[in-house]
Parts: sequence; C-alpha cells; structure tokens
Amino acid sequence: MPPHPCETCHTSRAQILRPSTGTRLCAPCFTLAFETETAATITSSQLFHPGERIAIGASGGKDSTVLASVLQTLNARYAWGLELVLLSIDEGIAGYRDHSLEAVKRNAEVLGLPLKILGYEELYGWSMDEVVAQVVRKGNCTYCGVFRRQALDRGAAALGVRHVVTGHNADDVAETVVMNLLRGDLARLGRGTSLVTGTGGLEGGFASVKRSKPLMWAYEKEIVMYAHHMRLDYFSTECIYSPEAFRGSARTLIKNLERIRPESILDVVRSGIDMARLVPGAGGEGGSRSRRVEAMSRDVEDDTGGGCSGGNGEDAGGEMARVEETLRLNERADEEGTETEIRLPAKATNGQRHDRDVVHTGPAGKVLSPTVNGQNHDRHRHTSNNATVPHRTKQEKKPNCKAASDAAPPRQRLGQCERCGYLSSQAVCKACMLLEGLNKARPRTGIEVGGAGG
Amino acid sequence: MTGPPKTRRDNVAVDNSLCRRCQTNAPTVTVRTEPLCSPCFNKYVSTKIIKRMESFRVRHAEAGHERLLLLPLSLRACSIVLLHILSQHLRTQGEKSGRTGYRLHVLYVEDGKGEASVASDLFEMVQHRYPEHTYSTRPLSDALALAGMQELLNPHQATTQDSTANVNSSDLSTLFANLTSTTSRTDLHHLLLRKLLVHSALTHTCSAILWASSTTRLAERTLAETAKGLAFTLPTQTRDGETPLGGVPSYYPMRDLLRKEILSYTSLVSPDLGSLILEEKPRPAVSTRDTSIDELMKQYFSSVEREYPSIVANVVRTTGKLLVERVEEGLEGRGHAPERSRLCFGCIRILQGREAGG
Repeated sequence: MPPHPCETCHTSRAQILRPSTGTRLCAPCFTLAFETETAATITSSQLFHPGERIAIGASGGKDSTVLASVLQTLNARYAWGLELVLLSIDEGIAGYRDHSLEAVKRNAEVLGLPLKILGYEELYGWSMDEVVAQVVRKGNCTYCGVFRRQALDRGAAALGVRHVVTGHNADDVAETVVMNLLRGDLARLGRGTSLVTGTGGLEGGFASVKRSKPLMWAYEKEIVMYAHHMRLDYFSTECIYSPEAFRGSARTLIKNLERIRPESILDVVRSGIDMARLVPGAGGEGGSRSRRVEAMSRDVEDDTGGGCSGGNGEDAGGEMARVEETLRLNERADEEGTETEIRLPAKATNGQRHDRDVVHTGPAGKVLSPTVNGQNHDRHRHTSNNATVPHRTKQEKKPNCKAASDAAPPRQRLGQCERCGYLSSQAVCKACMLLEGLNKARPRTGIEVGGAGG
Repeated sequence: MTGPPKTRRDNVAVDNSLCRRCQTNAPTVTVRTEPLCSPCFNKYVSTKIIKRMESFRVRHAEAGHERLLLLPLSLRACSIVLLHILSQHLRTQGEKSGRTGYRLHVLYVEDGKGEASVASDLFEMVQHRYPEHTYSTRPLSDALALAGMQELLNPHQATTQDSTANVNSSDLSTLFANLTSTTSRTDLHHLLLRKLLVHSALTHTCSAILWASSTTRLAERTLAETAKGLAFTLPTQTRDGETPLGGVPSYYPMRDLLRKEILSYTSLVSPDLGSLILEEKPRPAVSTRDTSIDELMKQYFSSVEREYPSIVANVVRTTGKLLVERVEEGLEGRGHAPERSRLCFGCIRILQGREAGG
C-alpha cells in the first residue's frame, strides 16, 4: 500500500485498510476503533450491569481470545466494575483440545483473569474418550454436541455466574441466518440473531443463564486483524470432521458475498433481525417483550460450538441430503392427497417396506416443514431415510428437540427436567437421557430408552 | 398404526426403467429423483402452473368481462413457457366451456441493452404463434416519466423547477452509467421495471400482473434482498396477491417449478420453444468483484438446484411464512426513508448503526 496518513490521527502512516469501512488507519487507531465500537454495542443495549460477574466462554480460538482481551481493556477503561472469569470446556478427547487449552491458560496469565477449565468428566461424569469407548464411535458426535451445549451453562452455574459471553462474530451470525433460511428453520432464525438470549434469572436453573455475543457486529476479518496487531495468542481447533454441510455452504456464500460487498455481512445480520421480527408468533415487537420470548424459548440446540459438525452424529454431506429427502417426501405426500403411504425409494435391498402413515389434517393442513407448526409430525417421516434397518434412527431425536425449539410462541409449555432442572419440554432433558443410557453401561446408538417420550 | 388406503402403485413393484408415473414410456427427464417420460413431465409442468391459476377459472369469470392479466415477457425461457402454457390453458377452457376465465395482455419492455433488434424479431414470432392475445411494447425509459420518479432519482433538486430537462431517454443510460456497482444497476433496473409494469397494468386495465419467476428465481431474490438488508420487504415481494402499498396485485404461477425444470420443458414440448427464446449472455463461472449480488445468488442456487432442489423451494416457502409488515400511510412507515431523503431505508440504517457500533 503506498504511504498514506492514517485517516483518524493524520499523523502516523496507515498500515491497515479496514474491511468494514474501507478507511486507512494506523494500527493504534484501528484497535481503538474496534474497541470503541464493541463498547458501543455493549452500552447501547445495556448488556452488562455494574459489578456483574461475567464468564467468558474461552475456547482458545481467535474470537474468544479477542473477546477476553477487549472486555478486559474496556472494563478498565470505562470502569464498569465487571468481574470477568474465563471458562473453558474440555471434552476430554486426548490431543484434541490440548493446544487451544494451553493458549487459554497463557491468556489467563497475561490478562490476569481467573480461569476455570471444566471437563465433560467433571460435568457429566463421562469424558468423550470414555463415551466413545462405551458406544464405540456410534453416535459419539451426538453426545459431544448435546453435552457441549449445556456445558457452558452448567459451568457458569457451577461458578455462580448468571451471564456467559461468547465470541460469535458477524460472519457467524450471517452464516446462521443463511443456514436457517436453507433449512426453513424460522424458529431459530429468530433466536440466532439476538444479541442476548436467556434471562439470567433463576427460574430455569442453569438453562436460563444469560448468553450474549458482544462481538456480534464485528467482522471476522477485523477480529483476526485485532488479534494480530495486539499480538494475541490463540490456537484455533478445527474439528476433524468436515464442517456441517449447511454451515459450510452458507459459509462459502458469505465469503463470496464479502468479496463483492463487505457490508453485506452486516446486512444479512440486519435482515435476519428483521425476519425474526416477522416470524409468526414471535411477538412482532422489538424491545423487552421479544426478549422475554427469546428468554423462554432458548433451546439447548441453539448454540453451535465452533468447529463441530453439529451434534447430529451424521456426516456433513448427510445433513443437507437428509433435509432434502424429508422435504421431497413431504411434497410428494402433499401431491398425492390426504392419506397415503410413503414408499421408500426402491433401493431397499432387503425388500423391506416401511409403511408409515402420513397424518394430514386435510389439504388445508399441509405440514410443509417439520419445524414450523410446533407439531410433531416428524416422527412419521424421518424414519424413512434409512432404507435398510427399521430401527429408530438418530433423526428421531430431532423431533423432540424441535418440539422444544418451536417454542417461539410463548404458549408452549416449558417445564423443567426432573433430573437436573434444565429447561425442557420433556420430562427428562436430552443430556440426562443420554447419561442414563451411558450409566446403564449398555452401548447406545441413539435414544432407545423404551417408552421415553422422545 | 392401521394402514391407510393404499395407492395403486404400492401393489406393484416400481420399475425404475420406466416413467415413474405412467409406468409405460421410457423416461426422458428426471424430476427431483423421479424419472418421467415427456408427456408426464409436460403434464407435471402444466399442472403446477394451472393449479396456481385457480382464481381465474371460467366459473369465476363473467362472460364478456373476463379479467385481463398483464404478462411481462422478457423473452427468456421462463416467460415464454408461461405464455405457452397459459395459451394452452385458455384454449382448453374455451373448448370445454365456450369461454375463458381471463385474457392476457403481453408486454415487452425494451431496456436498451442492445438486444433490441433480435428481441423485436422474436417478439413478432411470438405474436404469430399466439395471436389470441393482445400485445404491446414499452421502453424502460418511460419509467423515468412516471409520477414521483424524478423526485426519487434527483431528490436534491427542487421538485418544481425545470423537471422537463430531466426527462429524456438518454438519461436512462447516464443514470445507469453513474451508478458505481453492478448490484445497484441491477437494483435500479428492477425498480424501474416494476414501476413501469404497475403503470402499464393500470393503463391497460389489467387486474393483475403474472410474473414468470421460478422457484429458483424467488430463492435468488430472497437471499439477494437479505444480503442488501432488505429482508423485511420479502413477504411483499415474493408473495402472491396484493401488496400493502396498493397498485396492482402480483402473481407468480411458476413459483413451484425450478428453473431447470422449465428449461427442460422448452425442449420437450413440440413444437419446440427454443426458437422463441432470447438467449442469455454467458455468465462468468467464478464471481468477481464486478458480479452483482443477484448474479452471485444465481450461481449459488443453480448449484444447489442440482442436488438439493427441495431446499431451494424451502427457502421460498420459509420466507412466505413471514408476516407482512403493515405499512403506515405515507412514506414514514417503518422500512421507508423519510420523504426527500437521499438515502434508502437500508442505507440510513447502516449509517445509524455504525454510530451505535452496529
């Protein structure tokens, strides 16, 4: 870049071309701008209250490392009086998290913040290595996903903290918006774009721990630049499985979009927020009312951990194909009229036919997408995917959590898990059910707990 | 679970070497994993469109006062196929009941992009092939003369003085040339086209506009508008029927068909429709900085369409479920910039957001 004075201080030489604004800045002016903008996100939404205890979900990756550093800086600069603590989750897979956990430890020292590392073993009584040994690589992703989602909450509760912050950036949220459009998941469309979910109250036990993403409006590129110029120490752990098919597809699209028009990333996020407002039953109004709805309907499945293929235990390419199959069968069932059988594709080699009723409430009552109307029609459809073995496949779990995640209208009954108190629409939440299975020391491929509601 | 009435097909093993529906002919095309023969495929395409024309059935029409519907013809594959199938539909209606449920007025808008002579030849051929409709042409620059357009495009000029100096067809090209990105050019083109069509529909006393947008096209628009921060307009832009802003209702009878299905149709019907179609300019395989957002979405969905066609349809269906925002009288409603603003709502929001850190 030819020598150019910084557009802010007009003194130093500009070293950086800011992706978000296209302005040329020197490093100190850039980092200050980045910090100030993050502060604005926090103060304009009154994210924290003075003296609040905040747990920073620290994975050792760039986002959470930058988040911790920025919060520390702002806390001192503006005297917010926050009590910051780093919270890191160790799945207990030998060799997987080691490097990033070391990075977290180093950060804790440099920042002078207390660090709590909680392992699955400590939280659930099972490390992932132990789970895999038990279930022999069948559905291990399921366990990891379910456990991870509750882990931050449980960890925070164990520390007596009611508010967790994560390093989700604008690119993440934009990808989630696109992903939810592709999946037809209106309910998550609403929640994924919220700055805050959860109430931070005590009513749901650790499930109502407040979760927020202060870096929601920051470009991933700028986070990388900030980390670089502040010489922050991080280590990104990419999951060994390929990225989730929907997210991968969405990610490519967002990256291409960024090349044409960087502002589009933020525009996708804003569009997501607008669409969330227009979701039927979502309250329709902004402000505290919709936040309350958010709070009640936050679901264990919402927060995808970085890098994981997403807890469904299937291979990446599989998810898009699975949704495609489901949609196609729905369409075909629609066309053929009210009651009909769904025939499996003739490739079933063992000649088995799986007859399932498709329950329609007449031509007007089409169930076009499993996620929207809150009713559990999925049970009848998903199982037709597996052509050869008539056991309840892993997809069976989806309907149950979808039943909980369809709770965008506050009318849905949300109770608490009998065992752990987690918010759940079932009597026993998913994690507890999985644990029950594990603890009975029998290999499980999915939820086969006899008679369980879901 | 007791068995429901079984369909005929279930008593016989399906032969995949034959058309899935009639089990008689050899398949010529695969529709979302089902192999179909040409007649069955053609029926599939027509049925999808005719189903959407329910409100224009003969029984809903008064003899002699059939509703006139505007069909904008871009001369691309989708609009030609729509014209063909609706012409067939009208013929069938006439044969069955001696009259029709609606009439079509076909409009071609010249956008001065340099395809004018080829286009006008094709337009003439279309008129010869389907003489039963009325036809007209209009230049896109006419849109500049519509009420309110000058204010929209030159808001910093005082509205009363010298407005005639701005109304000029060469202004269309200068207008486009002054825009800095392909995306904004595409955007403006669409805006002008839409306004012109509404005006034409009113001029010709048409009850509705029939757009030839396929599922794929609607999905592209969904993501493109999302990427521009304008997702709140989506329910009104892609939904059948009235829009809150008034004007003429829009319908999208091809919304259940994928673009690739429509393209297959053009060669499987006889006589072949290919000779009527204005060819697209070849698109670059990889997006560059010059690609517009709409073009990017086109590339994206043409690849998704190949393997996951139902997901394409799902995107449109999902946005169709969003509530339509009620727009207050006047332009100060949410989603609209204040009158005489230089910027659109989306841009105002970006700038406000930037100050607040968003």
